[in-house]
Order: sequence, then structure tokens, then C-alpha cells
Amino acid sequence: MNLIVFTKRVPATQEEELRITDEGKAVDLSKVPFKVNDWDNYSIEEAVRVVEKSGGAVTAVSVGDAESDEVLRRSIAMGAKDGFLIETGDVLHDPNARATLMQNFLKKENVPFDAIFTGVQSEDDQFGAVGGILAAKLGLPFVSMVIGIDAYESDHLIVRRELEGGLQERVKVMLPCVLSIQTGINEPRYVSIMGVRKASKVERKVFKAADYQENVVNKIEAVKWVYPPKKAGATILSGELDGMCKELLGILKEKGVYQ
Amino acid sequence: MSYVLVVAEVRRGIFEERNLDSIGLCTLLGKDAILLIPEGDYGINEQLVNGLVRVKTEETLFLNPLNMVNILEKIMAARGKPDMIVFTNSASGIELASYAAGYFNLPVITDVNGYDKERGIFFKSYYSDKIFGEFRPSGEGTFIITVRSGSFKENAAEKGSAPPAEAIEDVAANTARTFVEYVEEEKTDVDITKAEFLLSLGRGIGNKDEIPDYEELAGLLKAVISGSRPVIDKLWLPKARQVGTSGKTVKPKVYLAMGISGAFQHIAGMKDSSCIIAVNKDPEAPIFQYAHYGIIADIHKVRDALKGILKG
Ligand SMILES: Cc1cc2nc3c(=O)[nH]c(=O)nc-3n(C[C@H](O)[C@H](O)[C@H](O)COP(=O)(O)OP(=O)(O)OC[C@H]3O[C@@H](n4cnc5c(N)ncnc54)[C@H](O)[C@@H]3O)c2cc1C
Ligand SMILES: Nc1ncnc2c1ncn2[C@@H]1O[C@H](COP(=O)(O)O)[C@@H](O)[C@H]1O
Repeated sequence: MNLIVFTKRVPATQEEELRITDEGKAVDLSKVPFKVNDWDNYSIEEAVRVVEKSGGAVTAVSVGDAESDEVLRRSIAMGAKDGFLIETGDVLHDPNARATLMQNFLKKENVPFDAIFTGVQSEDDQFGAVGGILAAKLGLPFVSMVIGIDAYESDHLIVRRELEGGLQERVKVMLPCVLSIQTGINEPRYVSIMGVRKASKVERKVFKAADYQENVVNKIEAVKWVYPPKKAGATILSGELDGMCKELLGILKEKGVYQ
Repeated sequence: MSYVLVVAEVRRGIFEERNLDSIGLCTLLGKDAILLIPEGDYGINEQLVNGLVRVKTEETLFLNPLNMVNILEKIMAARGKPDMIVFTNSASGIELASYAAGYFNLPVITDVNGYDKERGIFFKSYYSDKIFGEFRPSGEGTFIITVRSGSFKENAAEKGSAPPAEAIEDVAANTARTFVEYVEEEKTDVDITKAEFLLSLGRGIGNKDEIPDYEELAGLLKAVISGSRPVIDKLWLPKARQVGTSGKTVKPKVYLAMGISGAFQHIAGMKDSSCIIAVNKDPEAPIFQYAHYGIIADIHKVRDALKGILKG
């Protein structure tokens, strides 16, 4: 099977203090480290595993600035054969615009595939929408939240998708198709710095986003960034570590869970 | 007539409570809500909506995006285009919404948790809830929204009379994707939903080797260990220990969260705990908004200090 995997470079904001600048027009990410989108890491791994068993090749594709080459090198280090960058300086907030750009690219460059994998969502924008939009635009069946590929036949796949509360749904989907891959589907292989360095010797292709602009319009407008409204919030314990821990134990006693 | 189409999420005969958030958003917008639901006895309060369209099809066919676009096509042919189509922000809601957006070429904003009526702006979470984006559709015409559960439920109000109901028949089932079966989670011996005191671990613990030290702490505190999704994904803890939308919903007396940021999928699974205590080194971590008590510190240091005190 030939698989295309979309992979995005995202800011790792979980431990960072984020500041809104330009009167709400921008978020300062200049000091934030970037990394591969967690969901895409799982989807690259899954694609590589499928290809290792069934033959074929994985092509990793990223839309972003030149720095996004980093996630392509990483994909190659994990087992992808090719890395394509659709280069753009613009931040495309609208998932419709991103999916249309991807659709135009796949059509114009005639990239062959049996299935396309995306991640369930981007860590930064949390839209969870690109995979579904792309599938519909390509006229292909779509399954999201895929947490297991149970069987692959020449014309279809049997996959499991995750619902809420531990429930899963087993689905048959005809090829070619688009899947969005959920974290936890596998254990992504470790990628060493050496591995990435070696991968950088494999040529990646750069395409200009400007060449695939047909119908790429922003259907939604990002007006402004704001901080979430503050709730009452927690009573923050203060003082020395030991003192805070004793206070914590006091609370546990008061709540009756610790004697 | 102008209206909003609310696509109901139903699973195994249950009308999911988060549908009330979709209905509540319509009330907030001051729009008539027409509820789209498969045939069946869901025991819903029909007075909350202005109209009902029952689709003569099974749940699993209804919740398949490839069929949903056909159903939507039929409704729009009969009733005209809605101002907005609303889905839940769940595994199925997002799947349906994104596919419909691509199919009908419509704007889509997912994970909406607030609405500013005066400015016509939807709030959407960014960067794991650290920032909200203000979004609106660029042009006129129908757009698609998915609503975060718990955001608009309170706005849903009864209309006072039972709404008219219509039916849609003959939805051809697409064969490119078909339902096979439901798969249940395996039963295990520990049931975190029964625990009175949960010590819950997040990605902040760093790596698997830290687990035994936290287990020791849990032993000293007589707490049961649970975790956030990444900890389970990485196989640091078994799946039965996962708290959140795709794991378990827990309501212990005390929920002690260490190294958990507070993404809504996690919060949804523990927000009703009697007492939430969060330990995190990031003062901006969203979990502090939901916690009753907070400690801003390195979790490993807190763990070791607690162990020191407990061991005397
Ligand atoms: C469809 C879907 C379903 C999902 N279901 C669930 C679910 O059921 N349950 C769930 O939990 N998530 C779920 N998620 C994932 C969710 O969106 C978040 O990614 C996840 O909850 C984040 O887990 P975390 O808080 O442990 O990790 P992170 O968000 O990475 O947070 C780690 C935290 O640890 C802190 N930290 C790091 N090091 C230290 C230290 N030394 N000392 C103190 N603090 C430290 C950081 O400041 C940070 O706040 C789901 C996502 C999707 C898309
Ligand atoms: N700029 C991008 N480059 C490559 N892939 C992307 C990009 N944006 C989104 N995707 C893919 O679409 C998935 C869902 O993204 P989103 O709809 O933004 O949450 C991601 O996990 C990626 O696989």
C-alpha cells in the first residue's frame, strides 16, 4: 500500500507562558520550542508499520514554512520514503483552506496513494477537521479517531474507531480512503538525533504553496486572540515545600480520605 | 424560514446529554432549532426544540458521515438552507461536521465554547485552552459548528408546546464505509470510578521509570492511581486507569492531579470530584481553573517531600 501521511510542526505550548501581542492580533511564540504534532507521530508510525507488512511506501507531507522540513526529516527517520514540503509563509488558520491546498497539491502532482492518514487533531489549533474535509473533497470514505487497523485487504480495511467512555466501533472502509489516527494506536519508535541526521541526507522535495491556490479561501476569520475568562480558580498554597505538603495532608484529612 | 439544524448524537439508544449544549447555543443565538434524529424511542424533551425531523434509519447508519451528507442534502432540498448546522464536539460529532464541511464546501468552527451575541463571534480553544480564538464565518450563508460539552446547556429552554415532527424516508446506505460491530473495553479488577481518593498522573511525570515512586506515594496515602490519556497511550499505566472523555468519568472525594494540564477531554472526566487538588509547575495551567487547591511546584519534589513526611 502506498500511504500519504500529513504531518504538522506545532509549538509545544503545554509548559509555556503564552503572551498575546499586537492588541490581540498575534500570540508570541518566539520563545516556544516546536515539535511534531503528537497525533501525527502516531500516524506516521502506523503508516510505516502497514508498509513494513504489506509493501509499498510512505510519503510524508507537511504544509508550513521552511522549518517544517524538521518534521519531514523525522518522518523519514521513522521509515517514510519521501518528504514533501508545501511551503508557505502564511499561517492558515482555516482547516478548509489547508485541506483545499492539500487537495490541489495531490491532484496537480498526481501523488499516488491507497490511503491518506492524518492525525485526529493539531495540538495548536485543535480543529480536528482537516482529515474529514480533505476526504469529502476527494470524494473518499473517511474514518476518524482510528485506534486500530485490524485487517488490510486489497480493496478494504477493517479499522476500529474510538468513541467515548472506552467504547469502540469496528468499521469496514473501502480503499482508497482517508483515516485520522488517534494517539495510543501504537508505540511510536524512538527517533535518535543520529537517525534524523542520517535522514537529512535523503532528499526532500519543496513545492510552493502559491502553485496550488485554486479555491483556497478563508471561509472563517480569526478576529482576535483572548485569554480564557478566569473562573474563581484554586486556592494556591504557598510557602516552603515542606509546609505546603503538610497543608496538603491537612486537606486530605479534612476531606476524610487520609488519617 | 431561517432555522438552525441540530444534529443529535445518539448512541445505543441514548440521547447524549451534550446535545443540550447544541440546543442551548440555538437559544442563545435566538434561532429556531430543528432537531435531526434517527427514528427510535430516545425519551427526549421535545419542547426544547422548535421542530423535529426523524430519519427512518438506524443509529449506526445515521452517525456515518457518508450517509449524513445525504440526509442533510434531503433536508436542505425540502426546507432550504439552514443558517447553521450544529454538531456535538465528540468523536462522532467532529467526524460528521468536518466531512459535511468538505462535502458542502461550508465554513466550519469546531470546539466552540462560547458565543458573543453582539459581535457575532464564536470562541474556540487554542493551545490546550491557554488561549481562546475569536472566530466568525467570513461570508454569509450556512456554516457548521461543533459545540464543546457543558458550554451552553444552561441556555436550553422549553418552548411551551410540542413541536411539529416530520420524517425523512429512504436514505440510501453508502457502502464505502459500513458499521461492523461495537467493541467494549475489557473488564479489569481495579475500578477507578469506585475510588474515594485518586492520585492522577499526567505527562508531566516525564517517563515510565517515575511510576514506582508514585505508586509508593499512593500506597502511603492509600490512594488509587489513575492518569491522563498520554500516560495511558505511552503504556505507563493500563487503559482502565484513564480519566476523561475517552476513558472513565470519576467523582472521588479527592482528585489529586500531578503533572496534568487540564485539557477539556480530561476535565470532563473529573470535574465533579468533591475536591480537586492540582500540582503543576506552570501557574497558567488550565487545571488550576477547575481545582479547589493548587500547588505550583515540581511534582517530583512534592512527591518526595510528601513521602518524607509520611515515612516520618
Ligand atoms: C478525541 C480525544 C479524546 C481524548 N480523550 C482524553 C481522555 O479521555 N483523557 C485525557 O486525559 N485526555 C484525553 N485527550 C487528550 C487531551 O486533549 C490532552 O492531550 C491530554 O489530556 C493532556 O494530558 P496531560 O495533561 O497529562 O499532558 P500535557 O497537556 O502535556 O500536560 C502536562 C503538564 O505537566 C506539567 N509538568 C511537566 N513537568 C512537570 C514537573 N516536573 N512538575 C510539575 N508539572 C510539570 C506541565 O506544565 C503541563 O501542564 C483526548 C483528546 C482527543 C482529541
Ligand atoms: N499545516 C499542516 N501540514 C500538514 N498536515 C496538517 C497541517 N494542518 C493539519 N494537518 C493534518 O491534519 C490533522 C488535523 O489537523 P487540524 O484539523 O488542524 O486539527 C493533523 O493531525 C495533520 O495530520
